[in-house]
Amino acid sequence: MKNPSVRKLVINFAIELVVYGILVLGYFLLVLRYLNSILTELYENNMVVYAFLGLGLVVAQGIVLEYVTSFIITKLRLERLD
Amino acid sequence: MFFPISDVIVSPLLLAGIGFLVGILGGFFGVGGGFIAGPMMFWSGVPMNFVIGTDLAHMTGKSIVAAKRHRALGHVDIKLGSFMVVGTIIGVEIGARIIEALEASGNIEIVIGSIYVVILLIISAFTFWESLRALRMIRTDQLDVKDAIGFQGIARRIQGLRIPPMVSFPDSGIASISLWTVIGVGFITGLLAGALGVGGGFIRMPLLVYVVGIPTHVAVGTDLFEIMFSSGFGTLTHALKGNVDILMALVMHTGAAIGAQIGAVSTRFFVGPRIRLLFSILPLIGAIMVMIRLLGGGIEGF
Repeated sequence: MKNPSVRKLVINFAIELVVYGILVLGYFLLVLRYLNSILTELYENNMVVYAFLGLGLVVAQGIVLEYVTSFIITKLRLERLD
Repeated sequence: MFFPISDVIVSPLLLAGIGFLVGILGGFFGVGGGFIAGPMMFWSGVPMNFVIGTDLAHMTGKSIVAAKRHRALGHVDIKLGSFMVVGTIIGVEIGARIIEALEASGNIEIVIGSIYVVILLIISAFTFWESLRALRMIRTDQLDVKDAIGFQGIARRIQGLRIPPMVSFPDSGIASISLWTVIGVGFITGLLAGALGVGGGFIRMPLLVYVVGIPTHVAVGTDLFEIMFSSGFGTLTHALKGNVDILMALVMHTGAAIGAQIGAVSTRFFVGPRIRLLFSILPLIGAIMVMIRLLGGGIEGF
């Protein structure tokens, strides 16, 4: 890896991925633990609420995870090269 | 782990792993990855109607992250994407109603599985052939690697159709094209999204490059922008029809979020036809997985 900018990119990216991976793993376990019964009950009893809540959850998760990424980059001062 | 909504036992780690893989594909190739996630979910034992709805749901969250990254890179033509959304939403709704009818008739797995195999094999063969052709053009004619497209003639003829209203897309270098062509591309990909549970990127990206005639890197970003809407609307309409396991989608998305980070940065090291050559292998893998499940295999056989 002779190009210094590529080397910097890879190092920054690796740090970001490790921190991000730990946070996402924690979230993954929380989802499995707490949401299972709530979502199943809604699916069986109120499909309209389930549909809109489901869409809201996946959109919110996408936005939150992106926010977490930006937060990590700022806090750890990981300059993005892309 | 038992997922009560879809009534199936499947490892959440396997689902997160599928999400991780398709996350990389999404960021790298500019596709939602549904064409590979769908076959993998089907292969792992998830019923076909839940494969379709859940695949769309997990892509919704993932495409937001990937599209935002590509927009920051200047790879999204917002105007083009906004026009395509009209056709896409109509297509998604028709596709979802087809799935509802097939589910009611009990033929959903064999019909959709067979369509998956045929489409994936065609896309794989076509993209492989075209990429090799474009790479040969670069070597012999010294074309710019970013702009080499093996079917520029098709794009020119399509842009020459004068069916009003005509629109221009300066960000994609298109001076004038019929609005119906753009909406038509959206409709075709929306129909596939609603019926197969894919974002439609594996067909939309080739259509944007070969038919509409926009550069590959803009096709990648605009496709992801479009997937946000096709998968978002697809999630809603399929969820209302009882075809979405949101828990499964959330688990897959956690893996996808990490994968998308890797994929987006990887595009820095590959351009034009080389991206498409790599892309050609993926639909082939998906087709093989669907065939294994249709022939009675799948993850239980391993």
